[in-house]
Order: sequence, then C-alpha cells, then structure tokens
Amino acid sequence: MRRFVWLILLLHFTCGQRIGQQAQGQNPGQGQRDDEGIRFFEERIRPALAQHCYSCHSLEAQRAKKLQGGLFLDSAAGLLEGGDSGPAIVQGKSAESLLIKALRHDGLEMPPAGKLPDALIADFAQWIDRGAPDPRDGAVPLRPKREIDIEAGRRWWAFRPLRPVPPPDAPDPSASASPTAGSGTPPDRSLVSPIDRFLLHAQRQQGLRPGSRASREKLLRRAFFDLIGLPPTPEQLEAFLRDESPTAFAAVIDRLLDDPGYGEKWARHWLDAARYAESGGYEFDGFRPGAYHYRDWVIRAWNRDLPFDQFIRQQLAGDKLTPDDYDGAAASGFLVAGPYPGQITAKTVERIRYDQIDDMLMTVGGSMLGMTIGCVRCHEHKYDPIPQEDYYALAASLQSTVHGSRQLDPDPAKTITAQKQHQAATPALLAAVEAFASGQFAERFETWKAELSKQPDSTRWQTFEPISAAAERSWLKWQANGLLLHDGAMPVGSLLSRGGESRRVGGQEIITIVARTHQKNIQSLRLDALTDKSLPQKGPGLNGDGSFQLAELKVLARPLDPQAKDPPIELALKPSFAGGADPDQPLANALDGKMETAWTVRATARADNAAIFELASPLAGFDQGTELEFQMRFADQGLGRFRWSFSIEPNPATWAGEVTPQHLGELRSLLAAGNQQLAEGMRRAMMPWFSRFDAEAAKVWDALRTHRQSEPRPSLPEVYTTTAGGQDVYLLRRGEVDSKIEKARPGFVRVLYAPTDAVPNPLEEAATDPRVRLANWMVDVEHGAGSLLARVIVNRLWQHHFGRGLVATPNDFGAQGERPSHPELLEWLSSELVQSGWKLKAMHKRIMLSEAYQLSHDVIPENLALDPDNRYLWHYRPRRLDAELVRDALLATGGNLDRAMFGPSLLDDSVRRSVYLRVKRSELSPWLTTFDAPEPTQSIGQRVSTTVPTQALTLLNSAFVRRQAELLARRVRSAPDVPLAQAVDQAYRVALGRAPAAAERDEMLAFIEEQAALAGSDATARDRALVEFCQVLFCLSEFMYID
Amino acid sequence: MFSESSGLSLPERREFLRRAGLGFGSLALAGLLHAESSGAPEPAVLDPLAPRAPHFPAKVKSVIWLFMTGGPSQVDTWDYKPELQKRDGQDLAGADPKTGFFTTSGKCLKSPFEWRQYGESGSWVPNIFPHLSQHVDKICFLHSMYLRQNNHAPASIELMCGTNRPGLPAMGAWLTYGLGSQNQDLPSYVVMHDTRPRGDDQIWSAGFLPKTFQALALDARRKEAIDNLARDGGHSDSQQRAQLKLIRKLNEAHAAQRSTQTDLAARINSYELAYRMQMAAPESLDLGQETSATHQLYGLDQPHCATFGRQCLIARRLVERGVRFVQIFAGKGTASDGSVNDVPWDCHSDLETNHRSCALHTDQPAAALLTDLAARGLLDSTLVIWGGEFGRTSDSQGSKGRDHNPNGFTIWMAGPGVRGGLHYGATDDFGYKAVDKKIHVNDLHATLLRLLGLEHTRLTYRFNGRDFRLTDVGGNVLGEILA
Repeated sequence: MRRFVWLILLLHFTCGQRIGQQAQGQNPGQGQRDDEGIRFFEERIRPALAQHCYSCHSLEAQRAKKLQGGLFLDSAAGLLEGGDSGPAIVQGKSAESLLIKALRHDGLEMPPAGKLPDALIADFAQWIDRGAPDPRDGAVPLRPKREIDIEAGRRWWAFRPLRPVPPPDAPDPSASASPTAGSGTPPDRSLVSPIDRFLLHAQRQQGLRPGSRASREKLLRRAFFDLIGLPPTPEQLEAFLRDESPTAFAAVIDRLLDDPGYGEKWARHWLDAARYAESGGYEFDGFRPGAYHYRDWVIRAWNRDLPFDQFIRQQLAGDKLTPDDYDGAAASGFLVAGPYPGQITAKTVERIRYDQIDDMLMTVGGSMLGMTIGCVRCHEHKYDPIPQEDYYALAASLQSTVHGSRQLDPDPAKTITAQKQHQAATPALLAAVEAFASGQFAERFETWKAELSKQPDSTRWQTFEPISAAAERSWLKWQANGLLLHDGAMPVGSLLSRGGESRRVGGQEIITIVARTHQKNIQSLRLDALTDKSLPQKGPGLNGDGSFQLAELKVLARPLDPQAKDPPIELALKPSFAGGADPDQPLANALDGKMETAWTVRATARADNAAIFELASPLAGFDQGTELEFQMRFADQGLGRFRWSFSIEPNPATWAGEVTPQHLGELRSLLAAGNQQLAEGMRRAMMPWFSRFDAEAAKVWDALRTHRQSEPRPSLPEVYTTTAGGQDVYLLRRGEVDSKIEKARPGFVRVLYAPTDAVPNPLEEAATDPRVRLANWMVDVEHGAGSLLARVIVNRLWQHHFGRGLVATPNDFGAQGERPSHPELLEWLSSELVQSGWKLKAMHKRIMLSEAYQLSHDVIPENLALDPDNRYLWHYRPRRLDAELVRDALLATGGNLDRAMFGPSLLDDSVRRSVYLRVKRSELSPWLTTFDAPEPTQSIGQRVSTTVPTQALTLLNSAFVRRQAELLARRVRSAPDVPLAQAVDQAYRVALGRAPAAAERDEMLAFIEEQAALAGSDATARDRALVEFCQVLFCLSEFMYID
Repeated sequence: MFSESSGLSLPERREFLRRAGLGFGSLALAGLLHAESSGAPEPAVLDPLAPRAPHFPAKVKSVIWLFMTGGPSQVDTWDYKPELQKRDGQDLAGADPKTGFFTTSGKCLKSPFEWRQYGESGSWVPNIFPHLSQHVDKICFLHSMYLRQNNHAPASIELMCGTNRPGLPAMGAWLTYGLGSQNQDLPSYVVMHDTRPRGDDQIWSAGFLPKTFQALALDARRKEAIDNLARDGGHSDSQQRAQLKLIRKLNEAHAAQRSTQTDLAARINSYELAYRMQMAAPESLDLGQETSATHQLYGLDQPHCATFGRQCLIARRLVERGVRFVQIFAGKGTASDGSVNDVPWDCHSDLETNHRSCALHTDQPAAALLTDLAARGLLDSTLVIWGGEFGRTSDSQGSKGRDHNPNGFTIWMAGPGVRGGLHYGATDDFGYKAVDKKIHVNDLHATLLRLLGLEHTRLTYRFNGRDFRLTDVGGNVLGEILA
C-alpha cells in the first residue's frame, strides 16, 4: 500500500526523471500468452488508445509537455501503474477499472472531446475482463518522486533541538564607534541584559548603533497597552513619574502582570491563533452558547501564568487528561472552535468529518508549531519535510474528537463543600424539632386538641407528604400537599456532586420517595401523574411528547421505630386501574419484574393520568409507625409532576375521588393509638402534622422541611467542547474521501520526532489515548516538538511587544517562512523559557526590561540607510492598537469601561472589554471588523493593519465615539468653574498619557473657542466645543498607536 | 470643499502625500502588499486602493452580478430541453440520488412555462422573462456550469470564493486587491441585498485579505443606509472642517517625527477620503437625480420590482462612478401560500409559483439595466452577470418542486469582451448534468479575471505559508466565449 502514497503525489515540479523498470510481476506479457486476446487488443483496443488517448497519455505526450495526470497508456506497464488517480485498469475486473469508469463518464470523463461509442467502451470492458492482454513492452518512466528526506529535514533550523547559546559579550562602550550613541548602552557592561547583548552584537555587525530611550511617559503607555491593553490613568502616570528608583519600571511590569487585564489582552492574541469563534459558520452559522468557556479558560490560564506546556497539553487533551473536569473540557474547546456545517446529510457527513479534522490539524500546526500542514491533506508538502503519512498520522491522533456540548460544574469542590455544610446544619434543626416536641408541644397541642374533631373527615385517598425525594437524573421541587415537580434535568453521564459526594448520572430515571404513616391497614395505593405547563407538551412525562414509561415499581414498608426488629416488607401489588395507558402497554407491565416492559402513557399524554394499585394483603402497619419507600424505575426519562396517595379501604377500582393530605388522618390515628391521650413517644411523630395547625410548630418544622429541600446544587453551564465518538481515519488519495487507501495509525510529524532507545518510549505507550500522546509529543523538548513549540511561542511574545517577531512569519517557521532575524537570540529565549518551567510572565518581564524595548522611535539617519526596515531593532516602531484595544481605550478614556470579567459574550453596545464581544462567524462585530479583527476561520498569527476611510468615518461620526468624547469632556471638566486649560491638560493625560506642551495647549484652547463660536451662542456651546476637542484627541494617530 | 479650508490646496496636499510616500521608500502600505503577496500587479504605490495597471489590456472595467439567490432552475429559465418536456412524469435516466439536498422522485418534471425563440440567435426563453427575452442577442449563455456543493451557503461560497472553505476572499475583494479602486471616494466593491442570503458575510468576505478590500454591504431593508456617514445632529460642516483641519495638522506633525512609518500618512489621507465619502456616497445613491422615465424603466413605480429595480439603478450609478464590482443578491420570492421566502429561487415545493414570482421581481429591472447601460455606452465597459449558486434537478421534488442541483446550471453574461447570442457548453438532454465543455467556478473566475485584464495564476496572496489564488489550483480561461 505504501506505493500508492507515492502514486498520488501532485507533481508540479519537473525534477529529473529516470526510465525505470516495468511494473514487477504484473506484466501481462509474462506467463501464458493469450493470442486471441492479443489479436483482439490489436484490432480493437490499440487503435482506439492511439487515436483518443495517446495525445495526452504517452511518452510522446510527455516529451511534448502535454502529459496529463501522470498517466501513460502507451505501454502495458503504464496502464497497470496508472497515474495520479491510481492504476488505470484492474486486470480481469472491468467494473473496478478506472479506465472504464472514465470512458463511461462515471466520476471521470474521458476522452475530454466526447464520449466514445458504447460499443467501443464494451470492447474495452471485454478486453479488461479477459485479463487485458497487452503485448506492448514499453517501459513506464519512473514517476518523478520527490522523496521527502526526513533526516535531511531535521537539519532545518526550526526543526533542530534547542541548543544552548551563550549571549555574546556586551560591547565596550569606550570602544564604541559612535560617541553619540544614545543611552541605550549602560556604562557598566555587566548590566547589559542578555537580550541586549544579542541585539547589540548584531547591530555592531551591521554597522548600526542603538537609538535613545523613550520618554518615561511613552514607556509607561507602551507597557500598559502591551501588557493589559489599557492606557494608564493620570494618577498612574503621575505615580510613575514621581518614582525615581531604578526599579520603578520593573515594579510597573510586575503590577501589570498581576492585573487581570493581562489575561484579557494576551488571551486575545492566542484566540486569533486558535481561530476562536462562537458559531459554526456555513449555512446557518449556529451559535454555540457554551463556546465562551474556552475564551474564559484562556484568560484565566494567562492570568495565573499556567506554564505554557501545560497550556498546550490542556488544549490538545484536557478532556482526556482530566475527564469530567470543567477546566479540561473548557480547554479542549480549542479543538472544536473552528467552523462546522449546521446542515449535514448522509451525502456530506464523511467529507465534513475529514474537514473537521483538517481544521483542527491546520490550527494545531499554525498556532503551536508554526507549520503549514493543511496542504498535506492532498499531496506531500511542497516545501517542508512533511509526507502525507504524517498528516494522516496526526489526523488519526485527532480522530476521536467530536464537536458537542457538556454540562460541567466549574467548581465541584465548592459544591461539595456547600453540600456538606448544608448537611452539617441539619442536626441543629432536627434538635429544634425535638426540643419543641418535648417542650412546648404538649401544652400547645392540648389547647388545640378540641379543634380536631371539628376538622373534616379524611377522604378515601390521603396524599403522602414525602420525607425525602430523590431522582437519578433530575432535580425535584417540593410543592404543597405532597406534590413533586421536575425541577431541571441532570446531564446524563456527567459526574455530579450530590449529597456531598460525586456520582455519575445514569440514563435511566429512578425516583425514590420516602413517606411515613401511623395509619393501619393500608389497602390501596395511588400514583397521580399530573400535567404542568413547565413540562414538555405539558407532561406528565418528561419525554419530548409528554409521555413516560414506568418500567418497574417497587414499594417497601419498614418499621419507623429504629429499635424494631421487623424486616422490611416488599408489598405485593395488584394493578387495579390505570386512568390512561397505551392499549398494549398496561399498568401490569410496571409490576412484572421486567425492565423491558413498562406502563406506558403516550396516547394519553398531555392529560392527567393515574394508576391505582391494590395490596395483595392489607398492610397492617408497624407499632411505632411505618415508613414506605416508593421506587419507580423508568425506561428513560421520568415523571414531571406527581404524588403518591394511599387508602385504608379496599376495592379502589370501584370508587374514584378526591384526595386530602394525610395530616388529619395521621393525627387522628396517633391519638387513637394513645386512647386520645398524647403519649410521650408520639409527640415527635405528630410534629409534621400538627405544624399545619400551629404557627409555632410550623416555624420549627418548616425550617427543617425547607432546609431539606434546599440542598445546594452544582451550577452546570453548558460547555462547547469535545464529546465521545469519532471513527477511524484513512489515508486518502488526493484528499478525496471516496478514495480511501488504508487505515491511518496515530502518530506525529516525524521530522519532529526523535524516539530514543529508552524503553518504554514515553510517547509510544499504546495504552495512552492517541490525543494524550499527541499532547505529550507536542511539549516534549527531548523527543518531540517541544523545541519548536518554545520557539513559536517566544516569537509570538516578541512580536506582540515589538510589532514583528524575530521570525516575521509567526505561523510559518518552514521553508516558505522568513528566516529569524536573530537566530541565536530566539534560541536563547526559547531555552530560557523551557528552563524556567515554561513561565511566560517572566519572559515578558525579561523582554520589557531590555534596553531594546525601551527605545524611542527616534530615527538615526545613518541607521535608516543601512536598515530602513528596523530589522535590527535600533529604534522602536509605533504600531496601531488592535481593534479591541481601540475600543477598550475609548471606553477607558471615557471612564465608563466595565471591568467585569468572563461570561457569555456581548454585543457591540456593551461597555465591557472587547474580548468579551460576541464572535459570530457570519455577523462579526462591525466595530472590530472595521479595525481589522480577522476572520476567525484559520489560525491567524499576525493581523494586517489597514487605514480605510471607514475607520475615519467611525471615529468622526459614530454614536459610540461621540458618546466617549462627551464622557471624556465631562470627566475632565466636571464643573463650569474648571478652567478650560486645566481640562485640556487633563484630557491629554487621560487620552494620550502625557501633558500637552504649552503651544499645544494654546492651539487646543483656540480650537475650542473657534468651535464654540461655530456651535452657536447658547450657554452650552463651549461645553460642546470641549466635546469636539475630545473627539479630536480620539482621531489622533498618537491616540491610535502604541508609540 | 475640504481642500479650500485647509492650508494646502487639494493638489498640494496630494503632492504632500505623494512625496511622503515616495520619500519614505517602499515600506508600509505598499510594503504590506509586497510583503504578503507576489501577485498584485505593480503595487509600487503607497495606497493599496490606488488604481493599478492590469496584466493585459482590459475590456471590462466594472462588473455587475445579479445574483439569483437560491438557485434558479436552468431548465425553466435559459436551458430549454424539449426532451424533458416530452417525458414529463417518466423516469429520469441516470437520476442520481446524491444530486439534491433532499430526496427527489426520479421522475422528469417538465417546465411549466411557454417557451419561444427570440432574437437572431434564436435563443429559447420562457414566458416569465418578457423583458430579458428582448436582449438575448447581447447575452453569452454558459449552460455547462457546475460546482461541488449542494447547499446554499457552501455553494455560494464556492461560487464567490473559488472553493467552499470559509475564510477565503470573495471575487470582489480579489479584484480590488488586484486592480485598486477607480474612485477613491467610494468603495470599490459594493454588495446589495434584501433579506440576507444564506452564508451572509462569508459570501462577500475579504477573507484573509486586508480589510481594505472588503465590500460595503447595502441593505435594502434599511434603504441602503451607510453607517457613520453622518453624525447625528449639532455639528455643522464648518465645524467638521475646522476639526478635520486640526486633526490633520496634529497628525502631520506626529507623522513628521516618525518618518519610517508610512501608514501614518495613509491614516491622514483616510480622514480626507472619509470626508469626501460623506458627500460622494449619498450622491451616488440619490435616485432623485434620475428622471421619472428612468424610474419607470427600472420598474420603481411597481411594487413587485421596486426593490430590485432600485438596486439595479443604484448599481448603474455606482459603475458610472467607477465602482469595480457590484453584486446584487436578489431578495424575496413568494411561495404559493403567500409567504415570503428568504432564499428566493429555492423552489423545493412549487417551482411554477416560485419562479413566476422571482422572475416578476427581477426581469424588468435586469432588462432595464441592460437597456440603460447600453444607452449610456456603459455596456462597453461593464459586464453584467446573471446567475445563482446552482441549478435545480430535472426530476421533481414532491410533485411540482425541484431540488438543488450543482451538476449543471446556466449563468449568463452580457457586455464587452464576450460573444453575444452565444450558447456555450451544454447539459444533457434533460438539463440534468453538464456534459459538454463543462465549466467549473474556477474556469468562470479565470475567464472573468481575463476580461478584467488579470491573469488568474498571477493574482496571488501569501497567507499562512501558501500563495492563494481565487482559482485555487484550477481555472481555464474559456477562450471560445471571448469576443
């Protein structure tokens, strides 16, 4: 099968060709000679081939550069070897022969000039079925293979293991060729940072010298935008300017790295690389309400400085590394953040499956490895050493990755703690009940006792007031008079904390109700299944059509007295009557001991239903009262609203009727047991029933009851993540899903894989999930892709601090990408990152404390001539704020930025930070799009910054910018007595992070006067003029750029 | 206007910006094109929207694509099939259940319309196109179109972007990237729609190209309003001019200190462009400047075609002003129950009612556009295209509907460079599949680019390590249709 891989190359290049051997062992000329067949060939087939095919499929055609599809039909070997699409014929099997399909216009259409006569096509089929006897012994030219040499590939700079590089010596300032050098080089050479030593070394080689330092105002603004994406406030500016200590800037960096805004700023860069969006794109662009958890996870990860290798492992395999864990699932959102069609049919499902894997693979390649892998789906990489087998090995590693939603508790420990605290509070409430029972109870009951006789008699049906109620897969809400109502479903299959423990939610509903009675001689039981408007189709069942299937019912009776020795009794029940059932699925099915059959209410759904059971023999009842446990097992989902009742009368089928709560019956029965005297032992038992009639008793009893019903529940947000599933991946010919070659085995990009002899190889343990292995390989610096991973992320950090990476193509470290401007510096930084435990915050600080970062934009003319592009970083290049930061800066400047973090995404009119704006693929935020937020369809390493008039129109005319200008004006001039000059100064500090020069101030004041005059003569003209001035500030390049 | 109030006259300011551009060398915006691409012709200018010379002399300066959203049926519009008419209700030979999106009957469904031949070309046209039938000799019909996707959004993406992958630039963005803009005061790529077609922005996306090349989308339901063209209240023109003057002065001072930063000059320029756009855009959309005869020609006085008529008339005004690529996504069709369909030509259940309604909405305005363009000499430089994202099945869906069919459909063009009255390529006898001279979208694009003066293999943009083309890895120019 390996041969096929080579056959399907797309060969656009023309490297040397060799004339090779005939296809071995397949030459039909060998073996028995079929003379008649050959005659047939010569008469019918050869002329047709020559006439219709050779012009594009022959050695002659190749010489004339007209060969198509790499297919030679002018030799027997050529037919068998085939072209780009595989062998042209299968001897003896015309139906499987591509040639016949092409002639019949089945998928392929040959010859292109028009279909051959049917008779001739039949001749071809007949000839092939005969074994395709073919005397032509011409050799087929060996295909011009571009053998990918993996070992040679390893020598490419980016694919080598990290190597230790010592920083060069710092230049001797006294020996410097340029006495006018700026303050870039401290006098003490030992203080020159390693980063600067690399940069200065390169500059010296180029004949460049570093420029001067930026002003402190500019530096502060630069640091703020770079780390948290917001401008400094005037107070922060002033504090920094006042702090003259040498560590002032380092302290600012530390504070900013601790600011939650750091994660919000840097998450956005990663989200670009991760092609993050919250909808599926394509036909309906279905919104994914749970997608934002991934975004929040990224923000949290950056804020808590999660080591970058873990950050990567979590995204590739969080769902596998920590199953059932919110964080793991949120992190895996990375894999499924790509577009996904909403309408899938049997016709498209397989293609879409491969498209999905391709999307993941391309994103993994671009974001983590800086490699372009997607094109390898159809052909070997044209430039980098990635054969197709590697692509499909990666694809196979990702094959069990399916889009879906899961409901998971973000903080299960907290839920368990809350539940345990809840449990711990129960004894005190119980004690209060006991205290009441043994205290005030007697006196209050005696006072009331006479009332009892005035109460109505109990009806035949008395409703149980449950003591407890629990369900396998739903929450229940207690309503009045023994009614229980469905109160939300638990996600089946998820690990959920309940009762202070974690348990996995099963798919079959089991509802268990416990109730108590002191009444004797119970003869009948009744289950009411009731409708409610909160239920699907009004219920009473929870199935989509309002139906339910009660598969099994079991009722246990046991003595209430803990001292009693009597064993629990399982009540023998007879189906008496069902007020509603499907004709062929009667009530008896719930009592037959078989889960496969059920009392099914489908036909009579959307109406109240009831079931009545007779006890085979009446339940006499235990001396100190009886506890009954009702176990209802359902085929799938359970009941939406229901109650249990009992009767002490026989033959319930002959009467229907009303229900009353059990309390009067219980009180009467308890009193009867004590000969109308309040026996000592009865008081506690009477509490629930007496509380109906006595306010003081109700207080203590209801406190207990309410408490029992209010166990803290986990919050279960829906997380868009990976779910179980997936199928095998096959190697595809030219990426076409209809052309499967062979099953692909999970694996890695081999040029980045250096297995050692050590046994067991940590990356090849078969027991580990392929995706976990992929994740381990990705971060493994010794055997895997870790070295490249480190280079790629270090380069991203550098890029977002300097505007351009050391490698200018952040998503392409391959042969088509740019070579690093400072290879040794990149190597050193990457090694430092790995050695420091992949901590990124320290890396930011290292970069920002370099002199290079702190340079001004000032131009040195001699340098400009040598290095106009500033490749060697001799000065600082201003760059425009990213779309999100323009908006955030406007909100911050107006003073109305809401710094609330996390949660579902918002529309443009929100005043939260822009990282929280909705990213819907078909309706991207107009604001963000105007300012160059990218299409979230592929990994983006670098945004393009444009200057289109729509940006200017937005800044000049949009209601949002206008509003911010108004707010800024109010902020800097809160009262009419604030002098305008002072307001102008403050507006400069707020918006631009500096005070204006005197001439600027005068010019602004003149502008305000001019605007006021133009705006009219009313009292507010000057206020409005100040707003115009504020809007001018927003339109300044100085505002829009990090300088 | 703007220049009068500034310190420099407009030509002087242009000169300033030009000098700034040349003086700063080859960087920034032009550099952006250089750095990322190898294919845009002659990008050695500062402004990425500046007009650029094409690879060859161009016959076509502007394109108006009347996008028949939802996929009109070829056998009920321009691809007459007598065999299908004869075999109504019989088995459709070679019916392939994988063709449509749903399930079809496999039985031939004849066209319910009356067909007649028109023009010297003798082209067959059904009676739902009384106006367009008068123009057949101007029209070059491409009967053998096909593509790979069989649902609206993916097919529309394939038709506009070359393959169905989301995130790729649409043809209009490629054109602006390749040729620049002929009118700096207006966007070069304008899309008009009513209800939004399936696929939304993805169909007219700039994809990975800089947003400089993105479309301006005008929504008929908002009467083609453009966001942020004017500020709400309390702001006179003189105020704004004074404000712009100050902004420019401050930004120029800022830029002067950062001489390596050429995008700053472009940013300064963008305020001036914005100011001019404030005037030019409303003017280009102001149909009050048109005569009542023109209004009537386009059917603006008739409710059923007023919307599409307005869009067509705007399209003419836009190309008159140099807009390169205008695309109108025909909106709204009416189903037999009177409900409005957001995918107009999508006749799954009742072909006849649907197509009658869609034709009624579009026939007169489309014909008016041809008439009007010709009368003004604009048809010598403007190519009009008519077509949707795919065709329909020749067998029925239900009893009288047709399902999607990407395997054979008709798109037509009229204008310079193409042979009028030509019927190129063919579907089979039932109009079910393209069989002769099959035209994939890549071929169509290669041909359109050629008409606009661009060699499709040379119009490339490097993104994530690959040189992308509108025509992906395909594309053959249809030499036979070129005049």
